[in-house]
Amino acid sequence: MKRKLLSVVLAAAMLTTVLAGCGGGSGDAGTNPSSDSGASSSSDSGAASGDVEEITWMFWDDLNATEDLISLGYKDVLDRFNTDYAGQYHVTAITTNLEEYYPKLNALVAANETPDVFIVSPGANLTDYVTPGVTADLTSILKDENPDWYASFSGGVFDKQTYDGKIYAIPTNMAAACVFYNTEIFEKAGASVPTTYDELLDACEKIQAAGYTPITISAGTAWCLSMLVGYLCDREGGPDNLDKINAGTGSWLDPSFIAAGEKMVELSQYFQKTAAGDTNDVATAAFYNEEAAMLIQGSWAIGQINGANPAFEDKCGVFQFPGIPGGADPNRIIAKTDSLAMSSKTEHKDACVALMKYFTDDTAQKYTAEVGGKIPITSVDVDYDKAPAQLKYVMDILSSTSGTLGFYNESFATSEAGAEFDNQMVSIYLGDQTVEEGFQKVQNFFEEEVWK
Amino acid sequence: MNKMMRDKKAILLFMAPAFILFTLVLFIPICQSVYYSFCDYDALTPPEFVGLKNYTKLLRDDTMKVALKNSLFFMIFSIVSQLICGLILAGLLTNIKKGRNLFKNIYYLPCVLSSAALGLLWMFIFSTKLGINQLLAMVGIEGPLWLMDTKGTIILPMKVIAFVALWQYVGQSMMLYMAQISSISTSLYEASYIDGCTKTKTFRYITLPLLRPMMATAMSLNAIGSLKFFDLVFNMTEGGPNHKTEVLATHLYTQGFKFFKYGYASAIGVVLLVLCLFVTFVINKYIKIDNYEM
Amino acid sequence: MSGKKVGSTKSKILYIILYTFLILMALLYLLPLVWIALTSLKDDKTLFISPFAMPEKLMFENYTFAWTAGYLGKATLNSVFVCVITLLLSMIVGSMAAFAIGRMRWKFSGLAMTYFLTGMMIPVHCVLIPLFTKFAKVGLSNNLWGLILPYLTFSLPVTIFIMTGFFQGLPNELFESACIDGCSIYKSFTHIALPLSRTGLFVTGLMTFVANWNELLLAMVFISDDTKKTLPVSLSKFVGPYNTNYSQMFAAIVIAIVPTIIVYCVFSNQIVDGLTAGAVKG
Repeated sequence: MKRKLLSVVLAAAMLTTVLAGCGGGSGDAGTNPSSDSGASSSSDSGAASGDVEEITWMFWDDLNATEDLISLGYKDVLDRFNTDYAGQYHVTAITTNLEEYYPKLNALVAANETPDVFIVSPGANLTDYVTPGVTADLTSILKDENPDWYASFSGGVFDKQTYDGKIYAIPTNMAAACVFYNTEIFEKAGASVPTTYDELLDACEKIQAAGYTPITISAGTAWCLSMLVGYLCDREGGPDNLDKINAGTGSWLDPSFIAAGEKMVELSQYFQKTAAGDTNDVATAAFYNEEAAMLIQGSWAIGQINGANPAFEDKCGVFQFPGIPGGADPNRIIAKTDSLAMSSKTEHKDACVALMKYFTDDTAQKYTAEVGGKIPITSVDVDYDKAPAQLKYVMDILSSTSGTLGFYNESFATSEAGAEFDNQMVSIYLGDQTVEEGFQKVQNFFEEEVWK
Repeated sequence: MNKMMRDKKAILLFMAPAFILFTLVLFIPICQSVYYSFCDYDALTPPEFVGLKNYTKLLRDDTMKVALKNSLFFMIFSIVSQLICGLILAGLLTNIKKGRNLFKNIYYLPCVLSSAALGLLWMFIFSTKLGINQLLAMVGIEGPLWLMDTKGTIILPMKVIAFVALWQYVGQSMMLYMAQISSISTSLYEASYIDGCTKTKTFRYITLPLLRPMMATAMSLNAIGSLKFFDLVFNMTEGGPNHKTEVLATHLYTQGFKFFKYGYASAIGVVLLVLCLFVTFVINKYIKIDNYEM
Repeated sequence: MSGKKVGSTKSKILYIILYTFLILMALLYLLPLVWIALTSLKDDKTLFISPFAMPEKLMFENYTFAWTAGYLGKATLNSVFVCVITLLLSMIVGSMAAFAIGRMRWKFSGLAMTYFLTGMMIPVHCVLIPLFTKFAKVGLSNNLWGLILPYLTFSLPVTIFIMTGFFQGLPNELFESACIDGCSIYKSFTHIALPLSRTGLFVTGLMTFVANWNELLLAMVFISDDTKKTLPVSLSKFVGPYNTNYSQMFAAIVIAIVPTIIVYCVFSNQIVDGLTAGAVKG
């Protein structure tokens, strides 16, 4: 009898623990007032009263553990917003790291818990959310309801966020890709700043002869190599290249693409020997540790360079990627913006708009340039003496450009098409295939997946 | 005895919690995922039924072929190497007196560590100019591109990753074997020593046969684990260069979570499931002896 | 016992070779830990110039930063809560099912085993979205129980698989004599099967614990609230969008693994070796 009792008690205990697991869970949810409104409960204010409108903002970097200056700027924005609107609005950040950002965002959308405001890369990623109607159309909010706000933005910053004339996201800052160079090495080698492709080859030759690595680049991180090819493609064929590809009327076997590929192979003799395996971090380190003379990179690298080697700031120059004689307009620049999208299902539109305004107000934009080292998207007055020296150079280049283009791998219909482009370029560089074979594969991919 | 072991009520009671949990939390989502494999689904819009489209696409997918090849290589390598190394380590450690615990704990350590940290460590070790290549350069040898070399059927990076995986997980196999050895009755060993058996002979004729069920278990675990293998590949090469080191799980991840083709990713998942079932079946059929008696 | 036979020089040499081999192997396993510890005391710049050199200046501030910025204290508590409950439940629920499958006689035991095994063969990525949408509906998202349930379920297949093997390996006579003594099926489970498979329980428990202790994807997707995040999520906080704070991340990793190692060593020595020492003669 005794033993029977024991086993029954044991089994019952096991069952109750399991059931308690489920019960405890749903009980928790029942007492959580915000769980059905789609917002997650606030963490720091805790005793949020019923009057405060709670919104969520999702971002791809932790705001406390980060050293990224732009992320720290965003933290400031949230803090200012929560202080200024205390008692009225309150925003809570949902953060992941970049790797899990889109999986988590998609899971939240699928579960009908879309964050009220979230950051997203323009291009294929934004398209993914615009097409199914996840993001709200912001056109009338900007143009009709808040014309002053709309007027504060610099011209053209909404290009990549506009679909059929409707604006779906608000840019918060911009970065441009340029060639960073070590002025000291250039001087020692007797090289001058190149403005054409031939002069670039000449400079590389001189630098190599002087015993330095001319160009440091990463093929281990595929988009770094692909950025160079993107520039070459644009210098060869101009904006038509991308437009035609995206309209489905162009061909990847066009002579201008092949020529761009061949120029990449030609330049590759001046890359550091280990470019094939180096990651972006390693390649950038070779530049600020003064082993290599040139780095083709986005201006977000400024923070990393100056942070790791502050003494290098004085020696670091910037020039526009050279043009190709007989090619297209040499004054276009690759640029990328971070953008905020608003959920189309948010119940707190006013709070969301108020928050987005904080990201683009003068304080935030001044911070973007002077501390963050990125390019502001409004016409705010920036004190360039406070900003990193390289930012001024980038701004000068930007003011003389005739137009911007996105990263090639972010400019296609899907992010997979961009990855395919990156991968085939790496394969060409590694010598696994010829330039023609590589572009043929990109062409096949587009025929099968994109232009169907 | 038989009657006791056939007690329906007891069976029900023992099985119920695991069965209910498993069905609710895992089996129903698996079924959903199988359904998605017949759909176009991006998680943002409702799934749209497309029949066998995802599966016919799998057949034409070059990356899938590479992933399948790499996964099979990886599976065979880890089954064999883990079996041999795990058994040797377990055999050696049960036969020493001093420091057994210490060594066992040390060999198990990497299983406790996060793959992200270990992936980074090995990336430095096999990087182009630091680590091993730095050492090789000292004696005048130019090291290969450990993680980027693309020549041959099984490319060098896959072998490197397979080696790291062996290093990381052999402790697990060793623990399983040691646990089983520890439950072998002492009297068997005493009897064998009295009969004048050497240690090697005892290991060969007593330990090994009694370990067979655990060998089947450990091999199945290895097979399934290596087919599903994700962490180290993702942390060391992310499937690159140009998908050359892609395995099934990374291909699935890239398709599903980078390009949001959950339908297609689910189809890869189904292939993975079928492959796992088949391999487990084979291993259990040929290795395991049911109900062995002492 | 063989100890008395180890007098000859031949076996002495053998022992020396054996121990040299074991020590070399141990170094292969310990050096990475040393590297992680050293890296956690460097700054990122020196890491890229010479990743294997000694740190020039010890950066203990990495640890204070990791601890405060990563909320590691709270994260450790969350992880302990989730993993310990999962561990206990999976051992209980898993070994119950394993006993029914491995020891009891019924028509569908093989089928039940296969059923559970399928759970091991599906990568977590496949079920993430269906699971999340369902959990969100019943209010289990952003809730630690929403992690415990899947963790428990994902560890059931391995637990059942290994424990079934152990139960099958137990000698029949034990149960026969228990039956003759009038022992009930429940008591033969709790008093015979479980105690005799303690090593198995330990190993499966260890595997469960370690797998869940390091699980990142589910934790990242299911938990949004900073105060409910688990350790692996906190470690990943140091990975930025453009570059990573490696040295601080490694400091956080050290903070995260030290308790695991201590707990593991204490338990493994007490549980496993108490048994093996008596059981294995060789």
